[in-house]
Amino acid sequence: MVQMATPRGKWIGARVKRVEDPRFLTGDARYVADLTLPRMVHAAFVRSPYGHARIKGIDASAALAAPGVIAVLTHADVASVPPLQDPIALDGLKKTPQTVLASDKVRFVGEPVAVVIAEDRYLAEDAAELVQVDYEPLPAVTDAEAAMAEGAPLLFEDLGSNVVYDQTYRFGDPDSAFQQADRTFKKRLHTNRFMASPMETRGCIGQYDRGLGELTFWSSTQMPHMLRLSLAGFLGIPEQKIRVITPEVGGGFGQKMTLYPEEVVVAFLARHLQRPVKWIEDRRENLMSATHAKEQIIELEAALTNDGTLLGLRATCIGDGGGYSFNTASALVEPQAAALMMPGLYRVANYEARVVAVVTNKTPVGAFRAVGWTAGHTARELFFDEIARELGMDPVEFRRKNMIHEDELPYTTCSGQVYDSGSYVKSLDLALQTVGYDELRARQAELRAQGRYLGIGISPYVEPTAWGSEIALQVGFPFPSHDNARVSIEPSGKVTVAVTTHSHGQGHETTLAQVAADILGVDLADVTVVFGDTAATPWGMGTYASRSAVIGGGAVTLAAQEVREKILKIAGRMLEADPADLVLADGKVSVQGSPDRSVTLAEVAVSSYFVNSVRAEGEDPTLTATRFYDPKATYSNGCIVVVAEVDPETGQVRLDRVVSVEDCGTVLNPMIVDGQIHGAVAQGIGGTLYEHLVYDDQGQLLTGTFMDYLLPTATEVPPIQVEHLETPSPVTVQGIKGMGEGGLMASPAAVAGAVLDALAPFTPKVEELPLSPERILRAIGTITD
Amino acid sequence: MKPPSFEYFAPTTLDEAVALLAQHGDEAKVLAGGQSLVPMLNLRLARPAALVDLNRVTGLDYVRAENGHVVIGALARQRAVERSADVAARQPLIAAAIRLIGHPAVRNRGTVVGSLAHADPAAELPAVAVALGAEMVVTGPNGERVVAADDFFVSYLTVDLAPGEVLKEARFPALPPRTGWSIVEVARRFGDFALAGAVATLTLDDQGAASDVRVALFGVADRPVRVPEAEQVLRGERPDDDRIAAAAEAARAALVDPPSDVHASAAYRRHVAGVLVGRALREARERAQASG
Repeated sequence: MVQMATPRGKWIGARVKRVEDPRFLTGDARYVADLTLPRMVHAAFVRSPYGHARIKGIDASAALAAPGVIAVLTHADVASVPPLQDPIALDGLKKTPQTVLASDKVRFVGEPVAVVIAEDRYLAEDAAELVQVDYEPLPAVTDAEAAMAEGAPLLFEDLGSNVVYDQTYRFGDPDSAFQQADRTFKKRLHTNRFMASPMETRGCIGQYDRGLGELTFWSSTQMPHMLRLSLAGFLGIPEQKIRVITPEVGGGFGQKMTLYPEEVVVAFLARHLQRPVKWIEDRRENLMSATHAKEQIIELEAALTNDGTLLGLRATCIGDGGGYSFNTASALVEPQAAALMMPGLYRVANYEARVVAVVTNKTPVGAFRAVGWTAGHTARELFFDEIARELGMDPVEFRRKNMIHEDELPYTTCSGQVYDSGSYVKSLDLALQTVGYDELRARQAELRAQGRYLGIGISPYVEPTAWGSEIALQVGFPFPSHDNARVSIEPSGKVTVAVTTHSHGQGHETTLAQVAADILGVDLADVTVVFGDTAATPWGMGTYASRSAVIGGGAVTLAAQEVREKILKIAGRMLEADPADLVLADGKVSVQGSPDRSVTLAEVAVSSYFVNSVRAEGEDPTLTATRFYDPKATYSNGCIVVVAEVDPETGQVRLDRVVSVEDCGTVLNPMIVDGQIHGAVAQGIGGTLYEHLVYDDQGQLLTGTFMDYLLPTATEVPPIQVEHLETPSPVTVQGIKGMGEGGLMASPAAVAGAVLDALAPFTPKVEELPLSPERILRAIGTITD
Repeated sequence: MKPPSFEYFAPTTLDEAVALLAQHGDEAKVLAGGQSLVPMLNLRLARPAALVDLNRVTGLDYVRAENGHVVIGALARQRAVERSADVAARQPLIAAAIRLIGHPAVRNRGTVVGSLAHADPAAELPAVAVALGAEMVVTGPNGERVVAADDFFVSYLTVDLAPGEVLKEARFPALPPRTGWSIVEVARRFGDFALAGAVATLTLDDQGAASDVRVALFGVADRPVRVPEAEQVLRGERPDDDRIAAAAEAARAALVDPPSDVHASAAYRRHVAGVLVGRALREARERAQASG
C-alpha cells in the first residue's frame, strides 16, 4: 500500500518489474568471472596462516618450478607501490599503512603475502601451497579492550599503541543531565563481527596495452571512477589512460566500496607481465580477507526522570578495526558512525560520546549496509527495552514519550543532524496497528500461561541517506560527495541515461529510467541506463550509503529537465508555438488544447540533429545535458516490528512475522523498496541470530566456510510485510530520500528485542550477540557450567 | 577452492569399481552424491590420488522391501528414498531423518549410503542405522561381508571399510507392530548438521509397557551412539511422563565428553541431548499408542 502524497507521472511510483531481471534470471548476465581474454593468466594469493607474525623470509623457488607457473611475486617485487591508507582527515586519527603484499609483518589471517600467477587457477593454487614463508609467530590480540590495555601486543610498534583514535565529544550539558536525573541506567553490548556476503565475491581482470600505455581494468566494484583514481595513484599510470569496467556486479553492500590490495596487485601484474591477469576470489578468501563489519563494544548510560523522560545519554563506542585501520574510511567507520547517530529519533538534549578505534589481529573492518548504525541502534534500542521494563512502562510508551514528533520537524539533534521531515510517530503507530500489537500482548500472556514464550520487538528508526557533502559532515565523515548524470535523446528519439551511481543489484536500470521516462514523456522501454564503465559515463563517485535514488535520481531529473527544455524549444519552432504552451507526453509534443498540432519526439530529435532551420544560429544540435547533484541532507524513517517464539529448553528461536513500515519520501518503485527491505531484514536476521566471525585467541578464523559462517536461508526468514508511508523531503529534488540501509539498521534490534521480550519472565542478561541457542540458555540461566 | 589434481575413474560395474579401489588402496575415494566429498576436495581437506565415481554403475539405485527390511543401494538418492512408498510403509523413520538433511537440492544428489559411509557423527542417517540395528553390506576384493551398524561406525568420519572395499547397500529392519518412532534435533539452521539429535523407537506390549525401546544420539560423540542407560529405564515399564523424564536424565548423565565447537559447548550439547531424548520418547510413545 502506498499512500500517495503528491500527484505524479506515469512511471515514478509505479510498481514496475525490473527491466534488468530477465538476463539475471536466464543466466545471460556476465560477471567478471565470465570474461576470458586471449593469453589470460590466473592469480592465486598466498595468505597468512597467522594472526600476527614476523616474516623472516620467503622462498618461492619450488612454486616457480611448479607446472604452469609464470611468476611469483612478493613484497620486494611490488615495493614501488605505495601502501594503502584511509583518506579521512580528522585530528588524532593515526594512519596504519598497508603494503599491498605484506612486507615485514602479517597482522591478520588471510593477509596477502605473495601472489602466484599460472596458466589456470588450479595450477596457481597448487603452486601457492609451495611458497615457503618463514614466519616468526608473535603474540596476537583479538579483543578490542585487550588491545587497548597496557602491555598488549602491538600491531604497529611505531605507533606505540593499538588505539588509532580516542576522542570524546560533548553535546549540550551531559554532566548536569546526569546530576539532575531521578534514575540512571547502564548497559553494555558487544555486537558480533559479521560481514556482507555478496553472492559474487570480489574479482578483477587487468589488461595492459603497451602500445597505448593504457590499462583496462574489469572489477567487481561499487565505485568505478574512484577505483580508477586510486589505480592511477598507486601504479603511476595517468588517470585518463585507465578504463575501469564493471560488468555485472553481484552485490556489494559496502564490501566493494573500497580499494583492495588484491586489485592493485592484479593491475600491477597486468603491466608487469604484459598479459591479462585474472583473479576471482573464492568464498574461503572472501570470508577471511574481504572486509568484516559491525563489531563494536558499546557502553551506554542514560539519565531519566521518574516519569521516563530522557534527560541525557552517555556512550562509549569501541570499534574493533581488525589488522589495519582500513582505507574505506578508517577504523572509525563503525564507532564514529554509531556514536554520532546514537540519539536516533529521540529527543536527547545532552549527550557525551567517546569514540575509540582499535586495531586487532583480525580481518580489517569496512563498510557494510548501515555501517556503525546497526551496532549503535541495536545497543540503544535494547537498552531502551530494558529501561522500560525497569520503569514498568510498555516499551512502546517509553519510545513514544521520548520520540521526536512530526510537529517538531525539521529538528536539529544535539549531535548535529538536521532531520528534514518524516513520520516518526505515524510509522510506529502504523507498524503496531499492522502487527496487531494489543492482540499480540494478549496472546503473549495466554501462551505464557501454557509455558510458551512469545515476544515482540519494536525498532523505530531514522536513517541518514543521500550521501552528499552535507550529510557526510553531519554523520561524522567529512568528505565531499556528489555525482553526475548525462541524459541524451539520440537522433532516433530514444533515450540514453549515463550515470555514475553504480548498480550492483539495486535496479537502477529500472528506477532511473522511470525518472527519465516521466520527465521526457517516453515509454520505459525507450530509455537505456548506462553505468559501470568510466569510458561511457561522466565522472562520479559511485554507489554507497543509500545515495543513488536521491543523487542519481536527482541528477537524472535535473539533466532530463534540461533536455526537456531543449525539446520544447525545437518543437515550438516546428509547431510555430510558444514552448510554454506545449505538452510532452507519450512520445510526442503537442500544443495544449490542440492535440492535432503535434510532432513525435523522434521527429523533434531528427530535426534537432539534422535540420539546421529548427535551430538558432550556433545552437547545440545534440539533445543532451549533464548535471551534477550534491543534495542537502535528508533522513528516511520507519519502524520494524518482529514477532518471535523462543523454546526455553533448547534456546531455539522461531521468527513468526516481520512488519516493516518504510517512509523514504517519494517512492520511485515500491517493489524495489520492498526488495531492499527484504534483503536488509534477512541480513539483520543473520547478524542477530546466525552470522558470527569467530576467532580464537591466536587470531585463527574459526568460521571460515559457509558450513560454519551461517547465512540465513529461506527457512530462517519469515514473511516480511512492508507498508509504505510517503513524506517527500522538502530539501531534495523530487522529494526523494534513500532507503537501502534502514532494514539492517533496525531489524537486529527488533529480532533481539523480540527474543528478549519473549524471555522477560526469566530476566535474561545479554551482553553479546548473536543470540545463538546456547547464548540464550545461558542468558536465562538454564546452562551455567 | 580448487582441488589438487587426482586421477578420475568412472567404472560401469561394481566389480570394476572394486578392482580400481583395490588397486589404489587408501589413496582412493569413492564418489557417489559428492555432497560432502566435493566440498572437502575443493577445500583441499581431502587429497585422494584417485576418485572412483560410482555414478555410471547401473543397478545400484534401488530402494526395496525385502525379508522384513528396507534395502537401499549405494546410488539411491536421498530424495528418492524420502519419497519411496516402501519406506513410508515399512520404515518411516528413514524418510523423517532424510527430511532433516540439507535442502531438496542437496538431497537430489546426496545418497543414503554415501551419508552412512561418510559417517559424520552429527548426521541423521548413521544414528537411525544404529538405533534400528541396520546391516551394512560391504563388498571388496574378498567378496561380501555384512557388518552391524553399531560396529560399522568407528569414530569421526571413520567406518569399518578396508582399502578396496565399498559400502554396497544398507538394510534397515522394518518397523515392528505397535511401534512408535521419532527423530528430533537442534540445528543452527534448518538442514544443518545437528548440534545434537535423538532417535527413539518404542514398542508397546498388550499391557502398554515398553517391550522394546531404542534410543540413539547424534552430534554428541565421535560417532552415533546407542544409549542403553536410557533404554533400561523404560524397558518393561509403562512409558509415562515421569519414566520418560528419568530416561532423558539418564541419557544426559551418560554423556561422557560431548564435543565443543563454535556453535555449542559440551555443556549445551549435554543439556539439549537430555531434552531431545525426552521429546523423542514422548513422540514415539504417541505414535506407538496411535498405531493401535
